[in-house]
Amino acid sequence: MAHHDWLGLKRELPRRRRLLLAAMSFIIPLAAWCAISYVPWIWHPLIRVTDPGSVDYFSTGLDIPKTTFYQEEAKARAAGEALPQGYLVNPVYLPAPHRVARAFYSAFKTPPRLQDEPWLHQSLGHSIRTIFLGFLFSSLVGVPIGILCGTYRFFAKLQEPFIEFFRYLPAPAFAALCVAILGIEDAPKIAIIFIGTFFQQILIIANSVRKVDPALVEAAQTLGASKWKLVTGVVIPASITDIYTDLRILLGWAWTYLIVAEVVGTMSGITLFINQQARYRNFDNVYAAIAMIGIIGLSCDMLLAWLGTILFPWKRKNRTARRQQPLFPLFDKPRPLVLPPRFRPNPEPGGQLDAAS
Amino acid sequence: MRLKMLSAMALMAVAGVAVAGAAPIKIGYSDWPGYTVMEVAKQKGWFKEAGLDVEMVWFEYSPSIDAFSAGKVDADMIVAGDDMVTGASGAKSKIICLVDYSEGSDMIVGGPDITSIKDLKGKKVGVELTLVEHELLLQALKVNGMSQSDVTLVGTATDKTPQALASGQVAAVGAWYPISGQALKQVAGSKKLFTSADAKGLIFDVIAVNPASYAEHKEEWTKITAIFYKCVDYLKDPKTHDDAVKIMAAKVGADPAEYEKNIPGTHFLTIAEAKTALKKSDDMLSIYGSMKLSDKFYLDNAVYKESQKPEDYLVPSVINGLK
Repeated sequence: MAHHDWLGLKRELPRRRRLLLAAMSFIIPLAAWCAISYVPWIWHPLIRVTDPGSVDYFSTGLDIPKTTFYQEEAKARAAGEALPQGYLVNPVYLPAPHRVARAFYSAFKTPPRLQDEPWLHQSLGHSIRTIFLGFLFSSLVGVPIGILCGTYRFFAKLQEPFIEFFRYLPAPAFAALCVAILGIEDAPKIAIIFIGTFFQQILIIANSVRKVDPALVEAAQTLGASKWKLVTGVVIPASITDIYTDLRILLGWAWTYLIVAEVVGTMSGITLFINQQARYRNFDNVYAAIAMIGIIGLSCDMLLAWLGTILFPWKRKNRTARRQQPLFPLFDKPRPLVLPPRFRPNPEPGGQLDAAS
Repeated sequence: MRLKMLSAMALMAVAGVAVAGAAPIKIGYSDWPGYTVMEVAKQKGWFKEAGLDVEMVWFEYSPSIDAFSAGKVDADMIVAGDDMVTGASGAKSKIICLVDYSEGSDMIVGGPDITSIKDLKGKKVGVELTLVEHELLLQALKVNGMSQSDVTLVGTATDKTPQALASGQVAAVGAWYPISGQALKQVAGSKKLFTSADAKGLIFDVIAVNPASYAEHKEEWTKITAIFYKCVDYLKDPKTHDDAVKIMAAKVGADPAEYEKNIPGTHFLTIAEAKTALKKSDDMLSIYGSMKLSDKFYLDNAVYKESQKPEDYLVPSVINGLK
């Protein structure tokens, strides 16, 4: 009856159930949003006036709190004057799903209203490029430093206290400095994303690297691996999949800095669109744009996850192997760290670690 | 070999500087009708027509000031008072062009139970401290024989003022368009208590130029100032008014009909009006009087310590030289 157990601990669910749950994870919040938007007795704190009646400060199209409206209505009734009319609405800050969906579609179809202004897809492209470059530069420096810190206490002690301090500093606070040094175009925006990602990145990667099985390191040392070889031949291969997962999480992190980064210097990318639409209360457009960021982020992550299975096939093999033996999943042994053959320490006497063998 | 590469790099660096020297004149502007009207010149190609290489750079308002004080744009369209705040801590810029003064767009909006500024006595008022709405509130209190000590100020980011007023935590808020419009629309029974139309000239907008750039490109800056007034004329001319509004609304992503409503809150200056405003006087409708008042406001609120003189900023000869 194990098959009917949805809440089995550490048990991989059948594929169909996993897909169903994944769909539900989107359907539940969407359903809640629909309920709040379309069911009049859920929330709807305001009344949009369609006819002001005899109330002097009401006007058509004005949103009035329910209680105020009913008070005025009661007063008008008592005085025998024309009653105000209206219908229940939510605040403009929460547009209904169908309006956001429509905005989503039309935002891409609407040509820019002025010459030399970007289409929405161009703005999005600009944002993606900014994120990508910020993250790339951060990783180019952060990953090697993280690996060094994770491997050698010397580097950890030398750098981590300062990094621990710096990671609390809010990246946007450096906006004016970035503009002063890097100008007003894309460079300061990329720098903000760099600052926002870099320091966390070092700590997180160092932490993953520290989790490498010490037995593995000791064995390599016993076999006479040089310090450099220890890093390239043992530590990196042993932690590379974890580092890759870290990078995926950190990339998501970088996205959260986009909105603050893009108002540094000239306004650009998707933030320009969001801010302008928010100022003129077109919240359907705002949420459509926010949803676009979510969709891009999620697809990017899924793509990277898939790419991970191509890059690190031993990880995938491991997983399928687990899936194929569903009989004893609860008592699964601690997963041995499987290195691809070319990274395994050379057992030959003389003990050189040879990545090429 | 290495030496060759180094010298090549040095050459490239020099070339880079040389190219930078021929870079376009950059002017920062943002979402205020007085500034956005410059978009007309860009769309109509008036800069090119005048033989100028001008790049209009679109910002949020405060990042535009950051970029200007960091020297990354040559000029910024800015509130005269804010320009003094920037100048107090760095190079004093040259104000070459008077753009507009606010005439209704900035306002103090009272909640349902408040009918006049006098009703605010002992109540809380939400404004962004040391910014224009704070100054407007002080002016409103002064006109009504009151002072800052008669109210409790609650520091509120201007874009959050509609929510602050709706929450009932404050009796009134200060905001500019379109945020002030939201407050009025969102809070039933709220009304304008005092607007910049009651204090004309309190808030002047200008084009401030980096002094080095002004010294180097006097002729260009004069042409740019003339083009600004050409934009104002284009907006004021009934024949072209709708086209100007269409361009401006498109720039800020607003509906032209909706945008049209906020145009009267900004008093765009023509050349003749700008010349009048440049006559020295203590009246607020003179830029000198207006800046003196702002200076006092900033000194009283310890925004800066040293009094800023309008004469150090204003270059009346540019406007006075125009026909």
